[in-house]
Amino acid sequence: MDVFGDLLMGLSIAITPINMLYLLIGAIVGMVVGVIPGFGPSAGLAILLPVTFGMDPTGAIMMLAAIYYGAMYGGTITSILLNTPGESATVASTFDGYPLAKKGRAGPALVMQAVASFVGGTVGVILITILAPMFSQVSRSFGPPEYFLLAMMGMLTLVVMIGTNWKLGLISALIGFALGTVGVDLETGQGRYTFGSAELIGGIYFIPVAIGLFGLGELFYSFYVGMHRSGSGGIVQYDKEASFWPSAEDFLTTRMTMVRGSILGFVVGVIPGAGATIASLMAYSTERSVSKAPEKFGTGEMAGLVAPETANNAASSGAMIPLLTLGIPGSASTAVLLAAFMLWGLRPGPLFMEQNPELAWGLIASMYLGNMILLVISIFAIPLFVQIIKVPYRILGPIVVVICTLGTFSVHASFIETYLMFAAGIIGFFMRLYGFSPAALVLALVLGPLAEEALRQTLTISRGSGMIFLERQASLWIIGVTIVLVIVLPLMSRYGRSSGTAEKAGT
Amino acid sequence: MFNINNTWLRNSLCATLVAAPVAFAAPTYAQEVYPSADETLDWTIAFGPGGGNDIMARTIIDILKKYELYPGDISPENRAGGSGAVGWGYLYGQSGNPYGISTTSGSFVTTPLQADTPWQPSDFTPVALLATDDLVLVVNGSSEIQNIEQFIAAANAGPMNIGGTGTVNVDFIVPTLFAEKAGFEFEYVSFNSMADQTTALLSDALDAMVGNPGEILGMIDSGDLRPLVYSGASVPAALEGVPTMGDLGYDIGVSMPRGLILAPEVPAAVQDWWIATMKKVVETPEWADYIKTNTLTPTVIYGEDFRTFLNNTKDGFEVVLRSVGAID
Repeated sequence: MDVFGDLLMGLSIAITPINMLYLLIGAIVGMVVGVIPGFGPSAGLAILLPVTFGMDPTGAIMMLAAIYYGAMYGGTITSILLNTPGESATVASTFDGYPLAKKGRAGPALVMQAVASFVGGTVGVILITILAPMFSQVSRSFGPPEYFLLAMMGMLTLVVMIGTNWKLGLISALIGFALGTVGVDLETGQGRYTFGSAELIGGIYFIPVAIGLFGLGELFYSFYVGMHRSGSGGIVQYDKEASFWPSAEDFLTTRMTMVRGSILGFVVGVIPGAGATIASLMAYSTERSVSKAPEKFGTGEMAGLVAPETANNAASSGAMIPLLTLGIPGSASTAVLLAAFMLWGLRPGPLFMEQNPELAWGLIASMYLGNMILLVISIFAIPLFVQIIKVPYRILGPIVVVICTLGTFSVHASFIETYLMFAAGIIGFFMRLYGFSPAALVLALVLGPLAEEALRQTLTISRGSGMIFLERQASLWIIGVTIVLVIVLPLMSRYGRSSGTAEKAGT
Repeated sequence: MFNINNTWLRNSLCATLVAAPVAFAAPTYAQEVYPSADETLDWTIAFGPGGGNDIMARTIIDILKKYELYPGDISPENRAGGSGAVGWGYLYGQSGNPYGISTTSGSFVTTPLQADTPWQPSDFTPVALLATDDLVLVVNGSSEIQNIEQFIAAANAGPMNIGGTGTVNVDFIVPTLFAEKAGFEFEYVSFNSMADQTTALLSDALDAMVGNPGEILGMIDSGDLRPLVYSGASVPAALEGVPTMGDLGYDIGVSMPRGLILAPEVPAAVQDWWIATMKKVVETPEWADYIKTNTLTPTVIYGEDFRTFLNNTKDGFEVVLRSVGAID
């Protein structure tokens, strides 16, 4: 087929020594920016962009793309070990990743996340290779009504997260929604709770809040319960006897999770603006609703880590589709890539792949290689990272504070955001103490503004009529999928469980 | 500081402040040859790398270096934050320093309208307006509307939905003024980014949108989007055949300024040096390339005329935004 000819041609371009070197540099830099909390791929890309000005465009774009998807590998490491998401798309990975580490399974958790990232990333590239034109139609069918419905789907994750402690969960979510209203109102242009501050025009960025609530909050709580006095005990249990490698069961029970996570992540990633964060959250809640033991989620269930990890990597591949086929950046990171294309005088758009086949296919081919390189680097680096958990808490604690502060500050060089991170840390401590849900707060902060803006855009367009949701094909699809996810699948899995004979691997 | 809204008073005050030390105190800067090769030029970029402002600043710096127009070192610094408030606030604090410089973009006018910045656009020493960002009105390529006349006729039959980025922005002002002159009504739908609004238009949720042509030229070339009218004084080569609003007799005279400013209250000799230098910069083939790639409208005015331009733009924005209640 034609596609494979193109791919081979791309491979021949990507595999030259100089391009492989760029790819390797990109992968390593991506891992590193992913590991530092707050310092996500878009910030890393933006800082490294000027370095690439004098380079050959193909090599430079391969390198920049590798930084972008490489960050998805690194971002999870601190989610698992320190309960601090390295960037937004790995918030969901803390839900089960950190409990896994606490149970003494940090090694298997890290290896599984690398494998899940590899599977998600690779499935994503395969789908780009064969289905890019088809998925460009998906990117084209999303308008404000669909974004609103998508945000509502994301909010179902909230319901999952709030669980039994619904009063405290609801309060947490409401705080998140309230924080989400800060900033200039998109529709009228009026400032809301900005108090004239230029730094608050853009609203409260959720990265400092997430780092504070999860990272510092957890840290303060650990000090409160006296973990720093427990001698040589590390941040989490470290069991010398336990295997570093995941068991066969870990792979078997999560193989369908990886398939679901890859497909879901890719499709959500293809939708411009939805991105890896929503994909990972949706994968988590989907996995929980199809699980035979949903009550185990949040206590260190491997599927609860694998699902968001596969999805966020598949989504970062998926986000290349609107960029390559339409010239529309689906996320902050792909927007920097778009700026890079334009800097080199390339004109992204529907004719881009046709007019620049060498660059486009070189890039796609390099993503196969890049994911392999990242898997290998991860496997080698994991034993190093696992050492972190052996460091006594009284030494590690202060280092974590410094890393969180540096990471937050480096994103926008903003003092207000750094103060916000500390304030969120103190709030996070009390939330942890009294059983509130920091995850619900962060989710509401991400999804609230998205839902509000999309709903207002929708109602402006329809002149106030809600019927628009039923008149558009794409909207009907989302409503249909939501009904399946929320009502049909849980009912089926409940039925399966009560009959007691469901196969272990899941269906 | 005095908060003076009277420009005459402000200008004469600035003039006094600048003239007085030159005449009597003989400050160090004015006595030496400007620019001194020993001083590093502190170039503030008020946005992050990769953005429109960053690209323009680095283009000018490259030209200055390539043609050896500036003798000393140039140190570009991205001081991003608060939609430009941080970077231009930093330059504002360099008052009187002839080695503090920055490039402007749309936020230079809109940010002070939205937030209590200590500075106003006219506080800085204007060097030159180099180009303007103008907007193109586009419909989906599958739309039945083929040209602007059909669009206006259709908009008269029933209000259209037109998308744009933000409300306190030229994206809102341009269609508002155009609709007023052409006599049609529309609903403005505000988006966070060009990417969001383009997606909405492709999905047929919107009837039309306005945007800078640079980001969507690829889709115009492929026929996925159809350009109807352009807000600038002249149409860029890539949009040949598209009428300007002026061609239709609906000239609106509003655009986003891309220019060069120095810190407030620097000596007139320094301002003149930069004006003379920028006259050379805009003649280079590199600059022509930059204008073409980014589909900007080359609109060059120098010195105090640029200050007047900034004031007019800001006043024009204020009137429209106040009338719709976006600012108070």
